[in-house]
Amino acid sequence: MTRWLPAIAAGCLLALATIAVVATVRPAPPATPAARADALAAELRCPDCQGLSVADSPTSSAREIRRQIDELIAAGASDDEVRAHFVARYGEWIRLAPSGPALWLLPFGVVLAGVALLGAWLVRRRGEQPAQEPLSAEQRQRLHDEAEALDA
Amino acid sequence: MRRLRWLLVPVVVVPIGWLLFQGFDRDPRELASPLIERPAPAWSLTTLDGAVLSSDDLAGRPYLVNFWASWCVPACVDEHPVLAAAQERYGEQLTIVGVLYQDDPADARGFLDRYGDAGYDHVIDEDGTLAIDYGVTGPPETFFVDADGVVRHRQWGPLSEASMADQLAAILPAAAR
Repeated sequence: MTRWLPAIAAGCLLALATIAVVATVRPAPPATPAARADALAAELRCPDCQGLSVADSPTSSAREIRRQIDELIAAGASDDEVRAHFVARYGEWIRLAPSGPALWLLPFGVVLAGVALLGAWLVRRRGEQPAQEPLSAEQRQRLHDEAEALDA
Repeated sequence: MRRLRWLLVPVVVVPIGWLLFQGFDRDPRELASPLIERPAPAWSLTTLDGAVLSSDDLAGRPYLVNFWASWCVPACVDEHPVLAAAQERYGEQLTIVGVLYQDDPADARGFLDRYGDAGYDHVIDEDGTLAIDYGVTGPPETFFVDADGVVRHRQWGPLSEASMADQLAAILPAAAR
């Protein structure tokens, strides 16, 4: 178990680093205005629904937000400017996903810390167990004699 | 050391429990509006009477923007007398503007016939642009704007006499105790 711990820790760190890289170096945004609008509509919360995105909702608020996204993109706004337009009105609540990679990494960090603590605890517990030493010839003889005495 | 380890359990569990307890009790839409202490959105819309009313017409005076709907029962019915009483009490000193939130103008007129028309204007926000500019998540929602045109408070949910008095004091000198 102890021999495997460094390998497990290295594996976890590698996974975490990969997630960090993927989170920061996002794939290039879709090129066409309609595809960008679709992606943004899927990121924004429909204000009068329960946990639905603008893209998934047929309410008139969602339709109007979708129309404003199209309008802003047509006027030359970047994706971040479109997000900022709605965050300025509703606050961060309007975004379905948290902004920035730090919040995404937090749960993975917590799980990793838990695994590390569990590993450390297991290693310590192993160390505390008394070592099993082989019986001496004298002890063997005594066991044999006592067992014989019981049979007699 | 062995005993200290057990202390770790409450140290970890209690804050998590407290966070969950706090979180379950609240509606995320109640979060502070980003509009607070910022200039109120500008608009120009048609009233139920067919006139054109704009935010420029209200410049220099404190006003309330109340998003409501005839289908919003019982909350909008409950707060209706509170708005009417404030309008009656402060008259010219306070402007109240009702904004129809995803509502049919005919249904809104029916609501006013039934529950009483306090005399203030109601504008028709046909495509919901004003509701989006104010970040409204559902009626009733009321914004308190001071004489400088700055949003001072958002009431999420129906106004009570107490909350109306508290918030008016912030924008209306006559209401300050």
